[in-house]
Amino acid sequence: MSQGNMSTSAKPNTNPVVPEEIRDSVSISSIDFMIDALGQMLSPVLSPVANLARSNSVWPMTFGTSCCAIEMISVGMSAFDISRFGSEVFRATPRQADMIITAGTITRKMAPALITLYEQMPEPKYVIAMGACTITGGMFNDSYSVVQGVDRIIPVDVFLPGCPPRPEGILDALLKLQQKIRTENYADRRKKLYAQTSVRKVDYDTGRPLEDLIGVVQEDTNAALSSGQEAIGDVAKGISPKAEEAKTVATKPVAPKVEVAKPEVTSPEAKKVENTKDEAAEKADDKSV
Amino acid sequence: MTDEKPSEAEKPEEKKAEAAKPEAAKPADAAKPADAAKPAAPAAAAPKPAAKAPEPVIPATAGKFEQFLKEHGIPSERLPLSLTIETIAVSGDVLQSALRLLRNSSEVQLDLLLTVSGVESNDTFDSVYHLWSYSNLDELVIKVLVKKSDVPEGDLPAVPSIANFWSAANWHERETYDLMGIRYANHPYMRRILNPWDWEGYPLRRDYKQLVDSLNDKNPHSMR
Amino acid sequence: MATEIQEIDLKTDEMIINMGPQHPATHGVLRLLLTLDGETVKHTEPVLGHLHRGQEWQGQNRTWFQYQALIDRVDYLSGMFTSWAMARACEEIDGTVVPPRAEYLRVMVSEMNRITSHLLWLGTYLIDLGAMFGFPFYPFREREKLFDLFEEIAGQRMMFNYIRIGGVVRDPKPEWLDKLKRFLDEFPDRIDEYETIVTQNPIFLKRTKDVGILTQAVAKDYGVTGPCIRSSGIPLDLRRTKPYSVYPELKFDVITFDKEGDTWDRYMARILEMRQSIEIIRQCIDKLPSGDIMGKKQMAGMRIKAGEGFSAVESPRGILGCYVISGGGEKALRFRWRNPSFCNLAILPELLKGCPLSDIMAIFGSIDVILPDVDR
Ligand code: SF4
Repeated sequence: MSQGNMSTSAKPNTNPVVPEEIRDSVSISSIDFMIDALGQMLSPVLSPVANLARSNSVWPMTFGTSCCAIEMISVGMSAFDISRFGSEVFRATPRQADMIITAGTITRKMAPALITLYEQMPEPKYVIAMGACTITGGMFNDSYSVVQGVDRIIPVDVFLPGCPPRPEGILDALLKLQQKIRTENYADRRKKLYAQTSVRKVDYDTGRPLEDLIGVVQEDTNAALSSGQEAIGDVAKGISPKAEEAKTVATKPVAPKVEVAKPEVTSPEAKKVENTKDEAAEKADDKSV
Repeated sequence: MTDEKPSEAEKPEEKKAEAAKPEAAKPADAAKPADAAKPAAPAAAAPKPAAKAPEPVIPATAGKFEQFLKEHGIPSERLPLSLTIETIAVSGDVLQSALRLLRNSSEVQLDLLLTVSGVESNDTFDSVYHLWSYSNLDELVIKVLVKKSDVPEGDLPAVPSIANFWSAANWHERETYDLMGIRYANHPYMRRILNPWDWEGYPLRRDYKQLVDSLNDKNPHSMR
Repeated sequence: MATEIQEIDLKTDEMIINMGPQHPATHGVLRLLLTLDGETVKHTEPVLGHLHRGQEWQGQNRTWFQYQALIDRVDYLSGMFTSWAMARACEEIDGTVVPPRAEYLRVMVSEMNRITSHLLWLGTYLIDLGAMFGFPFYPFREREKLFDLFEEIAGQRMMFNYIRIGGVVRDPKPEWLDKLKRFLDEFPDRIDEYETIVTQNPIFLKRTKDVGILTQAVAKDYGVTGPCIRSSGIPLDLRRTKPYSVYPELKFDVITFDKEGDTWDRYMARILEMRQSIEIIRQCIDKLPSGDIMGKKQMAGMRIKAGEGFSAVESPRGILGCYVISGGGEKALRFRWRNPSFCNLAILPELLKGCPLSDIMAIFGSIDVILPDVDR
């Protein structure tokens, strides 16, 4: 995964932008740039061949939370036989899968697990949002514990409506995905890499989006600061430097958090995931230049 | 006919509860449930008699368990809520002894606890126990009513837990706590079971306000 | 002295491992926190709620008409039973009389549904035990045939919305009955086929015999129902012990084993139940009366009289209960489900105590829980 993350920049001669969180775990060598450049040069020739191979062996992951999963099992069985399209190898571990079919409702409690699974999959990876539940929340749209569409937490390639979609529908979605893979340019896809992996927006413990929690933390610290200042001021007016110290200490951990969150803030609001990703990647490029 | 119902929708329950109150004062007479049903029927449950008419108002086993409990010195009162199942209300203090008795005595053997449910009525929180038997056809509904006015501000209505001697109740009580916010005193592990542990609020209560955030912003409380 | 030293050597530190929520054999999203001593399970804590969709909340916020389309999702493998439980509770409050033809059709489709549910269980259970390829194709083949029949009568493969308050929604054509009969004729042979592969298979016997023994006392304490408790020797089958609908007119026996049930018994109970369902459906086809199929007008603004009712049906997993409080309006005041999976899952910590790690899936699978039925 770190290999993929390295090359956010498409231009080999400039310094690539390495996101702040992973800066200490990533090193960039000139070989990577050379491979990149080579890949860019050759991609018009290689992409069609590679894509043909990739599109006919999309291995899905067995991720099923509820009703739709049963239809996903059915499509693997003899009546519908997904192996005609090269996708019969259902993998139980995300490390070996190319595609995740989000079959079934995603709840607030499950969302962090789904994000983890998605992040553990190696690039290139694809998502089919199967069923009304994963598109909008479906039948349980206004329920208190349901995530209203997986596109709020991970990028989606194909939306497959239905409740549950018929097995033929799943096959159709798979064919659409294969078309998409065939028309893809590998070098272009690599450009988007980082933006696609930085989707952790849900807190593990509370099941709430991180941006909200950051807001809460900020408010809390502000409140604590103001009250703390008052308290300190009241108790001992002479020791004002300590109050200042406390202030800086308290603000420090908050500030970087907000910076980290910024690239994430752009993506949740965006419905068209890919477009924003392009923008994000471009922005990153601009900065680097 | 159908148009009138919504206006009456809330009333029957209210009045039934009221109608049940006077009996509490005279538990000795309550053994005859026919009397218990009468005050409720003409005054409050206007839509109900129509449904009741073809069937006998009081089933054959009426008051059996109430009688049984009374013989063992446990007061209870009959609630005229269901046509077919005997429904009684007991107070929280005697709940444990009542259930222990009903479960273990060789006469009754109500040893299958189907559910523990929480219900929010107009002015009470009810903890409802559905009891069946593995060996005969008896069934019984026991309710513990906690008045909303008795619940201290910022606190949860409390009912004694029966999970210590009846494992079936364990998860049900946790679930009721999670969704309805009824606290079961002396429960071995009173944590939320379905929602995350630090969830705020009790979703099935009428005054529950849903969380609006970027994961779930199209809900009844999103001010759209 | 020597033995003492050995014991000390074998003692290992306890280890807590997390299993799930995404695990191929948990049939959904169950998370188990296992405390292990070496390979032996000391303590299990199931963490539920990863699929909590607020079904009971929906019940209070949807009209009766909308909600009856939703509840097939409570237990999606046996949607007919959830619809039936709700319909019966509402009919009890409302005093609706269900026409006899509708009752017979209800029994028929539910028994068909019981077969599909057990078939799926059989396929996935064998996958859990390691028979990854090959065998699961067999039960799914028959399941598809039944689904075709369901699709013809209800319009959907899994979410039927067929049993409604007051009756059923569509009358089958005579050809449909013929197709069903043809299926019933060939199905016993198919079950024989499964049994030749599985029942006396030495690997299967090794994995399941004397594993996960459920004693009657424990089962009663936890309120276990369904095939799990019948295979432990308690004859609790609502269709017989507390008959509802037209079951009193049909001939069949309660399947019990007169001993404490292990995993293999639970497997066998389900196989026998499938055979039993065939007979029940056959009798229904013979006795099917003609006439009306709906006793209450289906419309968006449907109302149920004020009152409260509890009804239960014998679903493939156990007693499925529905507790409804109606205020007489368009919506319910409270919906409460008594889900068999939720209650049966509670015995898992008891069954897993002291068993080796490799038996977890054999035992868990044999209880046959469905996660939306647990979490709602
Ligand atoms: S879309 Fe329908 S079938 Fe699929 S998970 Fe949601 S409710 Fe179940």
